[in-house]
Amino acid sequence: MFKQLSERFGPWVSIGIFLLMFLWLVMLVILPQILMIDYSLRPNLPPSQIGGPDDQYTLKNYATLANNAIHQSIFFKTIWSSVLVTFCTLLLCYPLAYYLAKVATPRQAALCVLLLIIPFWINEILRTFSWFIILSYRGPLNALLLSLGFIDRPIRFLSGDGGVIVGMVYAYILFMIFPLYNAIESLDSNQIKAARNLGSGWIRTHYRIIIPHAKPGIATGCIMVFMLSAGSYAVPALLGSPGSRWFTQIIYNWFFEGGDWNQGAAYAFILLLLCIGFIVLMMRLFKVGLGDIAR
Amino acid sequence: MDSSVHLDHVMMKFDDFVAVQQTDLKIESGEFFSFLGPSGCGKTTLLNIISGFIEPTEGTVHIGGQDMRRVPANKRPTSMIFQNLALFPLMTVAENIEFGLEVRGVRKAERRKVSERLLNLVALPECRDKRISDLSGGQKQRIAIARALAVEPRVLLLDEPLSALDLKLRQHMRTELKDIQRKTGITFIYITHDQGEALTMSDRVAVMSAGKLQQVADPMTLYRAPATPFVASFVGENNRIEGKVVAIDGTQVTLDCGDLGRLSGHTQDSLNLGDSALLFIRPELLTRRTSMSDNCFMAQIRELNFEGAYLMIEATPLKSQQRLRIQLLSDLNLDDVATGNLIIFGFAAEDAMIMSGARDV
Repeated sequence: MFKQLSERFGPWVSIGIFLLMFLWLVMLVILPQILMIDYSLRPNLPPSQIGGPDDQYTLKNYATLANNAIHQSIFFKTIWSSVLVTFCTLLLCYPLAYYLAKVATPRQAALCVLLLIIPFWINEILRTFSWFIILSYRGPLNALLLSLGFIDRPIRFLSGDGGVIVGMVYAYILFMIFPLYNAIESLDSNQIKAARNLGSGWIRTHYRIIIPHAKPGIATGCIMVFMLSAGSYAVPALLGSPGSRWFTQIIYNWFFEGGDWNQGAAYAFILLLLCIGFIVLMMRLFKVGLGDIAR
Repeated sequence: MDSSVHLDHVMMKFDDFVAVQQTDLKIESGEFFSFLGPSGCGKTTLLNIISGFIEPTEGTVHIGGQDMRRVPANKRPTSMIFQNLALFPLMTVAENIEFGLEVRGVRKAERRKVSERLLNLVALPECRDKRISDLSGGQKQRIAIARALAVEPRVLLLDEPLSALDLKLRQHMRTELKDIQRKTGITFIYITHDQGEALTMSDRVAVMSAGKLQQVADPMTLYRAPATPFVASFVGENNRIEGKVVAIDGTQVTLDCGDLGRLSGHTQDSLNLGDSALLFIRPELLTRRTSMSDNCFMAQIRELNFEGAYLMIEATPLKSQQRLRIQLLSDLNLDDVATGNLIIFGFAAEDAMIMSGARDV
């Protein structure tokens, strides 16, 4: 790679490019992470004792989670709810992506994409707050359902995980739509016609032809949405109730309310590692390789 | 089993564009029927109407005597071979062939029997468990045929399936397709812009142009008695000479063709003196003459192409700009046939066809 670059741009520019890449990777990605790993492996000491005899590497911070049943249940709930968010997003986005890729005329598709993107010009906090208003006890959604006679009295949407899941599905739709759209769009439409022609109904055509083809796109979308949900802070903080805390909120509390960065870093790494583990497991389960995703 | 296809006054419009003009056509059970026409003539639209992928604006399709209105594509007794074949790349060869049976809920053992029989039919029994990407072009072609036949269609629709193959394979597949059609007795509806394919394989051919059926006939009739100027120029090679009617004697008409002089031919059209008309004469029906007489003209040779059994000549009649093609058998004495030489060519009046210029397209 260096050879190609230096042939094109000369050695000095190439060295510059590599230096910049190196700086970016090391200074902005690797070093801060190493620092956090270092933090997570040290005890939380008052400033006077840092570097003293008690400042020894320890796994104590990681063990905290193993001994705290409440944190554990929040952790598993976070994973489970993120799975739910991912699944709901997929369910919502697949038909839309299929419509955009194979049914809509170019004009319709362009309009649709524009309508999908416009809400994301508003910042996340504002968008999440508007969901807070929509879903609140005396909010417009309850008023609508009441006036239509579907319910007798308002529902507390925001008391459980419901509000958080709705908010996240909304926040991460684009991360699902575009990989799905790309994957479905690349399918030769004659494949769908051929399946129809051989007698296949719509459900089977999707299940046997379109979904297998779109699997890498589905995996990409699911991984992004899952990782974003599991690591989301703003949505659960705004739309969650005390009973629906997210694991990220606990991490936040360790850092900024407990003042225990070491413990917070350890929790953050546990979340990261277990999420990656979960994704690897799911990829095995659905027989998706890394190569498929990079396609 | 009745596997005829009846297009009952079918018409197709996309917005304001008429893709297929009103067409009434009956394709017989077990017939090898081709739609022949240049691209954009509406033949693929007709195929999509028969298979149910699009609903005609007007008219109905009957397959085996049954009205196909509101019968969706996946419930029709038709099977299609796509131009790009559209084999399923994520399935094995056997899974591809068995897909239509899987859809119909046929049991696995049964499916296997069918796919084995069909793989034998297309002479590829060893390809059963191969991936589609491991097949050659000709093998893919045959697997596509096997997949389409597996669902035992009454009508097989073929959308230029040979266009992606090289010449040799294409010619081989023609024989093979014809052979399969004879063995299975299924009605074949074949779409092509290649007249060689249409003429060699078909029982009957419908020539289409601009959404309109020009002529429906067996290949021999199409060639010998084209019904319209379009068919005369599109099917086989033909020389087209414009003129004005100067004499009529029954079906024999004489035209004043300007620089080419007066030329006679026969016609089916009712013409009047002074009408503009077209004379068609095939290259192989033009012959060399030793002296000028009726139906003759002098022409200068522009180009010679030796094609083995015969010699293809391009010549320009004196004073004219028109290029005519003449095909001479190469065992004749051809010493004086050389580029730049002047030669007299002529034809028999009964070999030339004259059509009214009003019917020109």
